[in-house]
Amino acid sequence: MKILKHSCSILLISLASSLVNAEISVIVSNNNPNTAIDQATVGKIFLGKTKSFPDGSQAVPIDQDDGAAARNTFNSTILGKSSSQLKSYWSRLIFTGKGTPPKQSGNDAAVKQLVANNPNIIGYVDSSVVDDTVKVVHKF
Amino acid sequence: MRTKIHWAPSLLALAIASPAMANDLNINGFLSVGASMLDDNKASIAGADNQGGFKNDTVLGLQVQKQVNDSTSATGQLVSRGSDDYSTEAAWAFVTYAANDDLDLRMGRLRIPFFQYSDFLEVGYAFNWIRPPSEVYRVPFSSLDGVDLTQRFSSGSIDGSVQIYYGRFQGDFNTGTDVYASDYRNFAGVALTTNMGNFGTRLSYHQAEIIMDTTDTTTALGAAVGAAGAIGLVPDGVDVGTATGNAALAGLTGVGDASAAEDFNFTGQTSQFVEAALTYDDGTYSAVMEWTALEHESSLFLDDQAWLIGVAARIGDFTPHLTYTTEKDSFDSGKEGEIQKQLPLESEQSSIIVGLRYDYDSGTALKLEIQNNDEKTALGADGDSATLYSVAVDVVF
Repeated sequence: MKILKHSCSILLISLASSLVNAEISVIVSNNNPNTAIDQATVGKIFLGKTKSFPDGSQAVPIDQDDGAAARNTFNSTILGKSSSQLKSYWSRLIFTGKGTPPKQSGNDAAVKQLVANNPNIIGYVDSSVVDDTVKVVHKF
Repeated sequence: MRTKIHWAPSLLALAIASPAMANDLNINGFLSVGASMLDDNKASIAGADNQGGFKNDTVLGLQVQKQVNDSTSATGQLVSRGSDDYSTEAAWAFVTYAANDDLDLRMGRLRIPFFQYSDFLEVGYAFNWIRPPSEVYRVPFSSLDGVDLTQRFSSGSIDGSVQIYYGRFQGDFNTGTDVYASDYRNFAGVALTTNMGNFGTRLSYHQAEIIMDTTDTTTALGAAVGAAGAIGLVPDGVDVGTATGNAALAGLTGVGDASAAEDFNFTGQTSQFVEAALTYDDGTYSAVMEWTALEHESSLFLDDQAWLIGVAARIGDFTPHLTYTTEKDSFDSGKEGEIQKQLPLESEQSSIIVGLRYDYDSGTALKLEIQNNDEKTALGADGDSATLYSVAVDVVF
């Protein structure tokens, strides 16, 4: 077991260092009244555990496409789950009619545009693409 | 049967009637293909035999969900099971009305929330086993027609839900050897789940009044009791003892002990089911413990308790896991218990399951599993042990 643990942590360290440059911003529309949203709340919104922003307005999370760099970072850092763990989490909800995962909505640019145009949408993008069309509510 | 025919066209009509919301139509599915082989035929596990076969663990499910308006949605799930000769059944067919963000009212065909894994019993991808251990997951039906109310709550780091349901289940009760038309009335229960960090708990209570149509089999009650180990109906005037060929029982009913005969009746008596589960998952290590107890008012069913404990570790895409599970019947006290001991009813068994799950990609899992089942007592006689080797592929889409 020790050897296993050891090789696992090496794997994690190398994984972390390869991602170290990619800072991710969680964004909402400029028309959204919320200014900062903590990590736990972002997590709850993206896992379907809450359907509202802290101010009570409806929150609609959107995902980037499967395999997008930002998505992997977001899943492991904010949600703490691998993509197959997430798939398993959502299949438990989908097949009971209790919830549907956030819609896959393209890459950084597509997500930014959707967020800019709808005050209910919350998304995440690589911080390098953030501009004044959207508002950053969380950064990691 | 009726649900099978009518729900699909009406869902389809819903889908066609509102083209403006067409992109809110969600179609999802799951498919499990499994093969298993028992090392010999002495014991029985999961319907497998020593000739191998693909049928028992093969399940296809197709789900359609449609958001009809802001607060109402319709969900239908058709499931076709190899163990049931691939006949297709509506496992779920319900309309959800979301009263608010945290309160859902559902009506239609619903899954009975008996167990930790009840909601996604057939979605193999959602758990590590090829099939939930049958020692604990021993209730031979899984859906009812009725209503339920789910209230979600969240406070600080704790979130969870309370689900209350009421309904009725009419359908075949398959004992493995015989099929009885059964009617579970005033079927009601409550399930409370909570999550806190890596821990989850679940408590549930269920009860139903059971009515079984054994008109065809009352004359063959002895055979029924003997073969099924549990089922039967003893109407007034039928001499149970003679039917089962059992001297002790014949003695009791022969001397006109009406109260004992009444206790072996199976019409309108209530059965209760209690469950408690604890789960842990830190992303790398996970564990599940689930305890259940069945209590029957009728003495023709033995009360029993069953539990399982499982641990698993995620190492990259591989998840090795280990589970111990056991089930044990108990006799009623007093005269009824004495009679039960004379009947071929008692069972006691346990299994050790060792398995490996490999997540091939997000949506496909390959599973290998070895289950050693030890039947201490089977239908009142000494049991056997056997080992089941299984392999399965689970896909969700």
